[in-house]
Amino acid sequence: MDVLTTIGLNHYLTISVLLFGFGLFAIITRKNAIVVLMGVELILNAANINLLAFSKFNGAMEGVMFSLFVIVLAAAEAAVALAIVINIYKTFNTVDVSRIDSLKE
Amino acid sequence: MHSLIQLSIIVLLLPLLSFVLLIFFNRRLPRGGDFLGIGFLGATFAISVYIFWEVVVTAYDPSFRIAWDFTWIDFGDVPGFGPLEIRMGIMIDNLTAIMLAMVSLISFLVHLYSTGYMQGERYYGRFFAYLGIFTFSMLGIVLSDNLFSIYIFWELVGLSSYLLIGFYFHKDSAADAQKKAFLTNRVGDIGMWLGILILYSQFHTFGYEEIYQHIRDGEFHMSQAWLTAAGILLFMGCVGKSAQFPLHVWLPDAMEGPTPVSALIHAATMVAAGVYFVGRIFPVLTPDALAVIAFVGAVTAFMAATIAITQHDIKRVLAYSTVSQLGYMVLGLGVGAYSAGLFHLLTHAFFKACLFLGSGAIIHAMHHEQDMRWMGGLWKKMPWTFVTFIVATLALAGLPLTSGFMSKDAILAGALGYAEVEGGGIYYLIPALGFFSAMLTAFYMGRQIWLVFFGKSRTHLKPVDEHHGDHAHDDHGHHEVHEVAWNMRLPLVVLAGLSVFAVYSPDPLDGAKGWFMHLVQTPQTAVVSSGGVHEGEHLEAAMYAEAAGHGEAAVHDDTHAVDAQGHQAVEAHDDHGEHHGPVFDDPRQAAIAHAAHANHDTAIRYSTIMVASGIGLALIVYAFGWINPEKTARRIRPLYLYSFNKWYWDEIYDATVIRGSLLISRILAWFDSNIVDGLVNGAGALTRRVGFFAGGVDRYVVDGLVNFTAFFVQTTGSLLKKIQTGRVQTYLVMVLLAVTAYIVYYVFQIMP
Repeated sequence: MDVLTTIGLNHYLTISVLLFGFGLFAIITRKNAIVVLMGVELILNAANINLLAFSKFNGAMEGVMFSLFVIVLAAAEAAVALAIVINIYKTFNTVDVSRIDSLKE
Repeated sequence: MHSLIQLSIIVLLLPLLSFVLLIFFNRRLPRGGDFLGIGFLGATFAISVYIFWEVVVTAYDPSFRIAWDFTWIDFGDVPGFGPLEIRMGIMIDNLTAIMLAMVSLISFLVHLYSTGYMQGERYYGRFFAYLGIFTFSMLGIVLSDNLFSIYIFWELVGLSSYLLIGFYFHKDSAADAQKKAFLTNRVGDIGMWLGILILYSQFHTFGYEEIYQHIRDGEFHMSQAWLTAAGILLFMGCVGKSAQFPLHVWLPDAMEGPTPVSALIHAATMVAAGVYFVGRIFPVLTPDALAVIAFVGAVTAFMAATIAITQHDIKRVLAYSTVSQLGYMVLGLGVGAYSAGLFHLLTHAFFKACLFLGSGAIIHAMHHEQDMRWMGGLWKKMPWTFVTFIVATLALAGLPLTSGFMSKDAILAGALGYAEVEGGGIYYLIPALGFFSAMLTAFYMGRQIWLVFFGKSRTHLKPVDEHHGDHAHDDHGHHEVHEVAWNMRLPLVVLAGLSVFAVYSPDPLDGAKGWFMHLVQTPQTAVVSSGGVHEGEHLEAAMYAEAAGHGEAAVHDDTHAVDAQGHQAVEAHDDHGEHHGPVFDDPRQAAIAHAAHANHDTAIRYSTIMVASGIGLALIVYAFGWINPEKTARRIRPLYLYSFNKWYWDEIYDATVIRGSLLISRILAWFDSNIVDGLVNGAGALTRRVGFFAGGVDRYVVDGLVNFTAFFVQTTGSLLKKIQTGRVQTYLVMVLLAVTAYIVYYVFQIMP
């Protein structure tokens, strides 16, 4: 099981794609805004995995640095997004994104 | 400004003031304000007499003339024409002064007379107002010094004549008569205005004296024919106003007006204005124009006299007599007997006014009976009227010792002289018609006198059924006839007094010795005659020309210089040796004046014979009854009917002019309703078609485009709006799809 013992770049990328896919799926299908935000976090983490994987196999540190920034950004983004969710809740009395459709007017 | 000019302005304006006051306030004034009218006219008369006295008696100068004028309208320099200004002014010469006194006297007397005659009329005050504006206009004609202002006053007298003829406007006949008078006059006035314009186009001035001076200086650039045309056109004004043939038809109908009006306007003054006007323009008339005038006058005199013989209405006889006498005056002017024609104007004014006022007195006393067949035997009942009527009739007939004799005789002498100078032939028709008319005049006046004053009263002979159409006064029945009151008698006496020869001349046979003929002398003609002088007169003519040539420059300012030299020439050929008339530059004019004088005795002889035979005939027929007028009338029925129906002029005009204009109107109406309306309607229909088509285009093409756009946008929108759900997740899916699509496209693009 050589393949199993030696984990290559493709494995990382596969994980990343799966993570991205789950995140996307969560964003599109979930009704709860919090869950949607969680999907967004998944996508960000998929990107982080990509950055770290490329960084590892490239031998440079840029990817690691980038991923650090992304984590910080993700934290900030989560804070902003949660604030938005609270505001949405205050306005519409719900966090069900399928029922918030004022944009169409 | 000369003091007489100032006075004449007052004279002119007083009657206007009377008109203005009376027309507005006659209902509020006691007695309709007639005392105001009489008062103003009395003042007018008094001032006129003063002017008359100053000019005629004190000055006694044939060349007396004062004038004053001012710029009325100044148009400045008109492009394409030159300086254009219209002047107004007043000129007083002997003729003006005499006319002024005559008009204001008769107007005053008629005012006085009307207080009796018009008593109890419905529009009593208005009547005096109308008399006032008439007097104003008539005095304006007399005082005018230029053609423009005389035209204005000319139309004003036309207006007042119109108002007064139609005074009983509730009667159809009066309303018709006033329209007829106005329209007939319009025909003449158009001609007159064209004549004025011809002269104005040449000289750029309206003033008489200036025009004459320009013509004398030879500044008339058009041919002589144009001058003749101008003269005849100006004469047309006279033809209309003075009721000359062929526009005489209105005057007899104008008798529908109240009788004082007939006396003042349609006998004495306004109708004489035409003659006065011809007298004023006399110097511009060429020999050809004068010949036309003379023939028109002769035909008018004769025609009207023949009609007067058969009329029954007392006023109608006098009306035709007036037309006939006006014909005499025009004839006189036409043959060059200038002063005789105007003299007849003056004398006729007095005796004809007297006759009309007399007839008014009769009508008044007879309770508005005008038909002479039902009168008779009035002389005992109305002695004053009878005597004055007789005096005036003798003057009209032209018996010696009356004023009419002198003036008529002078005209006839002039006509004889004219025919002689013109070389006989057809020109002898003029004096022949004149003499024959003199006989007819005597006859019909004799007939009138007899029917009205003598014999037995025939009032009861009047058929009963004729009463119904009569005046409302008929319910009084046949009341006793009385002499009229003093305010109607006084005018008759004054006017009859003025019909006696002694007022005008010391010699009952020769008016030329009187003051009128001395003061109003034939003016020098402004046109040089070319030929026209008869063969035998050449020597004489040459002498005249020579005599005049010496003093040519001084002719107008100082006639004495010419007189002295010209007198010798006159004496050589003058049998009477007492001729002191003016001396003419123009050989033709001189020859006519001389011949007229030479024929004076012949004219006296012939006219006396004619008048005597006319009166004799009237006596034979009506007084002695040797000839039965009715039987004679039946025997010469066509002639009788021709005369009785006034030569059928009304019928002829009805058939030609009136039917003609109706036909033209109908043709024009057809043209209007078919061609013009057709064009308009066609244009309308065409527009409608175009509109219909444009409407279709609008509805289907333009609206279609608009609707399609709307429809398209609506459809597209309704399709697209389904995409817009408002849900964030849907949008995200779309973004995802788009990105996927882009990637797919990109991958297949790069790696086909």
